[in-house]
Amino acid sequence: MTILGISCYYHDSCAALIHDGRVVAAAQEERFNRDKYSPVFPIQAVNYCLQEAGLTIYDVDEITFYEKMYLKFERTVLSHLAGYPFTLRNFLDTMPLWLKDRLTVSATIEDELSIKRPVRYVKHHLSHAASGFLLSPFERAAILTVDGVGEYACAAYGSGSGTAIELRKEMHYPHSLGLLYSIVTAYLGFRVFSGEGKVMALAEYGEPSFLDEFRKIVHARSDGSFELDTSYFSFNRGDRMHNRRFEKLFGSPRPPGEELNDRHRNIAASLQRLTEIVLIDMVRHVARESGEKNLCLAGGVFLNVTANSRIREESDFQEIFIQPAAGDAGAALGAALYLYHSVLGNPRMPSLKSCALGASFSDRAIQVLLRNRGVRFRAMESDELVAEAADRLAAKQIVGWFRGRMEFGPRALGNRSILAHPGDPEMKDRLNLIIKHREAFRPFGASVLREHMAEFFEQDWSSPFMLFIARVHAAKIDAIPAVVHVNGSSRIQTVTSEENGIYYDLIEAFRERTGLPMLLNTSFNDSEPIVHTPEEALRCFEDTDMDCLVIGGYLVEQ
Amino acid sequence: MSARICNRCVLPEAPPDIRLDDAGMCNICHNFDEEQRCAEPDDRGLLETDFLKIIEKHRGKHEYDCLCMLSGGKDSTAALYYVKERYKLNPLVFTFNHGFVPDEHIASAQRTVEKLGVDFVYFQTNFMKDLFRKIVETKSKVVICPVCSLWYMLKTYEIAAQFDVPIIVSGWTKGQTTGSTRSVLSKCACDQNPDEFKAMTEATRRFMKEQVKTDPKYRDFPMTMEEVLRIAKKKYKSKAIVLSPHWFVPGGPDEYVPVIREQLGWEYTARSYPRQSTNCDLNFLASKLAMENYGYSVYHIEMSNMIRMGLVTREEALDLLEMDVDGEIFDDVLKKLNIEAQHQ
Ligand SMILES: [Fe+2]
Ligand SMILES: [Zn+2]
Repeated sequence: MTILGISCYYHDSCAALIHDGRVVAAAQEERFNRDKYSPVFPIQAVNYCLQEAGLTIYDVDEITFYEKMYLKFERTVLSHLAGYPFTLRNFLDTMPLWLKDRLTVSATIEDELSIKRPVRYVKHHLSHAASGFLLSPFERAAILTVDGVGEYACAAYGSGSGTAIELRKEMHYPHSLGLLYSIVTAYLGFRVFSGEGKVMALAEYGEPSFLDEFRKIVHARSDGSFELDTSYFSFNRGDRMHNRRFEKLFGSPRPPGEELNDRHRNIAASLQRLTEIVLIDMVRHVARESGEKNLCLAGGVFLNVTANSRIREESDFQEIFIQPAAGDAGAALGAALYLYHSVLGNPRMPSLKSCALGASFSDRAIQVLLRNRGVRFRAMESDELVAEAADRLAAKQIVGWFRGRMEFGPRALGNRSILAHPGDPEMKDRLNLIIKHREAFRPFGASVLREHMAEFFEQDWSSPFMLFIARVHAAKIDAIPAVVHVNGSSRIQTVTSEENGIYYDLIEAFRERTGLPMLLNTSFNDSEPIVHTPEEALRCFEDTDMDCLVIGGYLVEQ
Repeated sequence: MSARICNRCVLPEAPPDIRLDDAGMCNICHNFDEEQRCAEPDDRGLLETDFLKIIEKHRGKHEYDCLCMLSGGKDSTAALYYVKERYKLNPLVFTFNHGFVPDEHIASAQRTVEKLGVDFVYFQTNFMKDLFRKIVETKSKVVICPVCSLWYMLKTYEIAAQFDVPIIVSGWTKGQTTGSTRSVLSKCACDQNPDEFKAMTEATRRFMKEQVKTDPKYRDFPMTMEEVLRIAKKKYKSKAIVLSPHWFVPGGPDEYVPVIREQLGWEYTARSYPRQSTNCDLNFLASKLAMENYGYSVYHIEMSNMIRMGLVTREEALDLLEMDVDGEIFDDVLKKLNIEAQHQ
């Protein structure tokens, strides 16, 4: 049984392939066409997934399509939102595509892939729910999906048991946390879809002094449901999403690029706080109503690591699983999983332990590239490579680390990463300014050896996909300044020998040299999508001031 | 003649068409990089699904879905294998011999055909022999291969028309096309207009005009690939398009040689230039003359493309392109051409 899952025409289009009872491959189109959050039909990702499995499109039995609601009103709203205060290009380009209904989507798929297969449409929240539950380690669990940044508006909850998924309640547009977050992101002068993470980081520098104002526009109930007071928004204007009433409460919007002040920081902090409060209320309500011990989360809102961590600490659930590709990309996989398990009744597969579902490149291909580019390199055995890289990291060098299969979802987890010494107080500025060219207030995550976590953090749990923050022991903050956020916490990925192989070995080697069981880990890119091919890695390496590059079995120096 | 060689590809300095910059890199490589840099998100490379789009238009509508040109070498053997096993098409196989194809190549083609159980057309002719002799005798700078390919492509179209086949499948590698998606799909893809082909193309044009057109025996010989396409369309009423699966599937020989070895028991033939190819004996002489006249052969152009595409290293290419044969092979070819051996 081979199922191809597709999501597209909105943003971050993606293909995922289930074959022989497992997820063989999943990848976002942006990595191939290098257009961030590309919404086009994921033709390159589809070709990649099939090649990874050694199949052709003729081997595909079923195609699933992650369905969005194609309501005209929402389309208009979101095009405004996405365009403000930046260009409308992306959205005007895709607008006509949004008009596609099932018939034309089916025809497009048939045309692009040259095969006739029935296309199965899986509902929006079912896709999210399936992506969260069916790859979780739980036999049964409560499920909550909340649409993320700039997505179509809503939330749903229910539960899963075995291969069955039931959603009991849905909340509808415009009463959406994701939408609110995106509106305020735009109001604060950041780009919708990529700026939400910045707002979350900025929030830690402010005080939630606008919480009362937010309470005026968000009428939350104790069960986590809420209503947005639409009189503060103008969904029909072309240039913004908030209106004058909103500005009366919060002040004038920040033009992009203008210096950030305390008011901006406080608004961000208040929005973040409100988001957390609402989410925790929802989760508590879901806990009460479902009576389940475990919880699965999906939807773009759950890329908000601060909120995730509060949920983890403050809810009554024993364990929480979050789909690492929480947004639309993960929903393509979710749609395929839903068909495979919930509709066709195939038994569950092992839980998702690794996001490494993308392309890998042979040492031979890498060597051909390096030689033909006249790049000087050293071929090394794995243990030599680990030792050499650990030496360099300990000496505060910045190391590009390109090995194995590309990660699925927005995070780099040690296969397409830029690594650095977490104990160097200069490192954060160096990376933000020189390599990543991004705002100085944005923190970096850490990859931590699971068994050493408690030595540095108050929490002692797993976070394999870097979806949680942990509080650093007060006494340890000065030891790892490059990965501690202003609030004394770190965004962390826990690393184990079984699941992370050589990446684990590298951090262990670094620990032997420095006593620190962790590395600063940020995605391997400058401002483009995360690098996909060795060629892109080499270009990024050459264009930035990384000190060295580990690529496959080779070490390259600047 | 030992011109400087580009430090990225294997093309030698050959002004005005091929020029090296101060850093030792040629203009062809620079052009390639420039095109890569200017690539838009939507002008992607060819994908397998692009190939499927074409074949699905024709599948099952003719007795044969396609005509596969087979030399017995790795590239055409793999192309045929893909067509039959990966895409489940019903191919007719066509092998052309102008009298200089070694027996072991024909035998290799035959083994593949038998193994795959496909229909086979074998065509042998001495028609071009006088022409080849003329090339050598007149000391023309024309390169034999492009001239020969005019004739065998015309023959291929004729066969395609005869059997009403809609697609001609070649084993041309990624290095044998530099075209974009659109240009590849719109013509025969024998793009001989880039800079590195200019001098050879000009020599061909002159030779065709002065030596071929004037010879009654070759009055109908096509002058250019465009003319081949015209004749195919007008005379043979063939609308067949020429494609190679290699353009659409990622990777290169590293990926498909192990497959055909395992699945078809295919092996490299002993005698061919460049090494690990399966080209005719005439090709030794053709490449040697091209090296003398231009400093590089058509295989240097192909290998250079492969280097730029990251399919082979420069060292490997230089190694494969080295002509390490004794003079005997040239004497053999010249004897076959009824020319007194001038080589030792
Ligand atoms: Fe969604
Ligand atoms: Zn060159």
